[in-house]
Amino acid sequence: MAFETTTRLAPARPRRRSIVPDFLLPYGMIGPAVFVAFAIAIVPLTYALWLSLQDWYMLRRPTPTFGGLINYKQLLQDGPLWAAFGRTWIWTIGTVFVELVLALPIALLLNRESAVARAASALILLPWVTPFIVLGFGWRFLLDSDVGPIHALLHAIGLAGDSSILNDPVGAFAIIIFISGWKGTPFLVIALLAALKSIPDELYEAAEVDGAGPVSRFIHVTLPEIWNTAITVGLVLGILAFYSFDLPWIMTKGGPQDATTIVGIAMYKAVFLDLRPAYAAAISIVMLVLLFIASLFVLKLRRRS
Amino acid sequence: MRHRSAVREVSLDLVTIAVLFLLLVPILWVFVASVRPETDITGGGLLPTRFTFDHYAAILAKKPFLIALKNSLIVGITVAIITTALAMPAAYALSRFTFHGRNFFALLILGTQMLPSLAVLVPLVVIVRQIGLTNTLTALIFTHLALGMPIAVWMLKGYIDAIPKELEEAALIDGCSRLGALWRIVVPLIRPAIIAVGTFAFVLSWGEYLMALALISKSDVKTLPLALQGLFDPYSFSWGQVMAGGTIIAMPAILLFLIFRRQLVGGLLAGGVKG
Repeated sequence: MAFETTTRLAPARPRRRSIVPDFLLPYGMIGPAVFVAFAIAIVPLTYALWLSLQDWYMLRRPTPTFGGLINYKQLLQDGPLWAAFGRTWIWTIGTVFVELVLALPIALLLNRESAVARAASALILLPWVTPFIVLGFGWRFLLDSDVGPIHALLHAIGLAGDSSILNDPVGAFAIIIFISGWKGTPFLVIALLAALKSIPDELYEAAEVDGAGPVSRFIHVTLPEIWNTAITVGLVLGILAFYSFDLPWIMTKGGPQDATTIVGIAMYKAVFLDLRPAYAAAISIVMLVLLFIASLFVLKLRRRS
Repeated sequence: MRHRSAVREVSLDLVTIAVLFLLLVPILWVFVASVRPETDITGGGLLPTRFTFDHYAAILAKKPFLIALKNSLIVGITVAIITTALAMPAAYALSRFTFHGRNFFALLILGTQMLPSLAVLVPLVVIVRQIGLTNTLTALIFTHLALGMPIAVWMLKGYIDAIPKELEEAALIDGCSRLGALWRIVVPLIRPAIIAVGTFAFVLSWGEYLMALALISKSDVKTLPLALQGLFDPYSFSWGQVMAGGTIIAMPAILLFLIFRRQLVGGLLAGGVKG
């Protein structure tokens, strides 16, 4: 290191001094990260708010002009958009429901000390870490009417006809919700597992002494202890689901007949197909507001300790 | 819990294996299909008849795919390096100093984590277009920094918190500067965590789809997820090749995650993460 010379150790320096005064050092160190956070979160959000107040249909004029609440007025009357919002709630709640239903039993199953349970709690994360683009094409392959083994299975039990379930409006929406939940399940499993492992054994012993059976122990000991984790992680997963785009876009591009067009896709189409970025910005502001209100309600479900 | 019979343990283990298999079979199927001959796939049989690398050879001979591979490597590695370089000093400042606005900055950085890409997609696309950076890797790299940086700061802060302050104080007394102490004492001690964080940033960028789709349309700057989409050639389309491309995208994510699982799982739970 170049600066480790004898001059550094010169006795003429009673206190260590660097180029930056000490009180500025933390700001210098955190500055670049804060700048990135600012540029990627605060600036775009503020800009979206401004943009949503502009009148900007790119086919008509190349630059935005102030339009006041024009986008919001149109948005209120946009039937297909509200249908997409409706679908998005079904999608979000459905995804979190699938995640809870799959993750809770799996977490209970993995809450053991065996080597298999430990290996399984590592491998189970694969759907969570595999990118959407791979899962989306993988599932299209699995559900393909010519080559997909899961299509064959669904066909055999009567859930799919001769063409893929992805061509059926209701079926496509249901199966993509399931896939969305399947992808998020591992995250919830790991969170619940951590919560389960932190429950002290004494609670179970005490319940056992009181004569509580396995079901009663689950309801009175396990469930209250993992409740807040389930709510918090459920909320995080719900927010991610609310902002989904990749999976339904890769699998069906929002079709058939808009059946899987959730708001994320409607917003994307507003920018890239309709060329109305200001309108899309208004949609993203409304999404943010609705999500914020919904989140407040969900947080009310938490238990006070 | 205690006192459980061996039979019960073994049967629960078997159930675990069965459940795990059901959960992972869709992903396994992608991998299996990538090494099966095309006739095998279209034949619809469940068991592969022959093992082949033909699909990999075929896509690696496609120029657009190779260009995308190169672009994804450039973007991923740059993102990993910048993310770590930004996160490390930030984490250190949050862990070691008390200063005005510390909590605000911490909240701002962590808040970015909770913000899905889709929420800032429209304004970012417009901004990028107006400064003329559409169809550049620079714009993509910049947006990808948001994917891993918050969690990187959070994880590294946790690791730095665990290092006794006395170690650095000793170095400071020996004439080391504050940054020198960070570089010579802290960084070597948490090297595995730093590598894990960089890896994580790489993996998130490697598989990222939405921003790439929104910002990139020219084939010479496309990344792998976009190139995979391009494999759906209506004339000579092969499921085997798409699955081989999918495996190439999935493998780094899966392998690196399994290697660094111990470092990453705690951080994932602490911050919640973009999927």
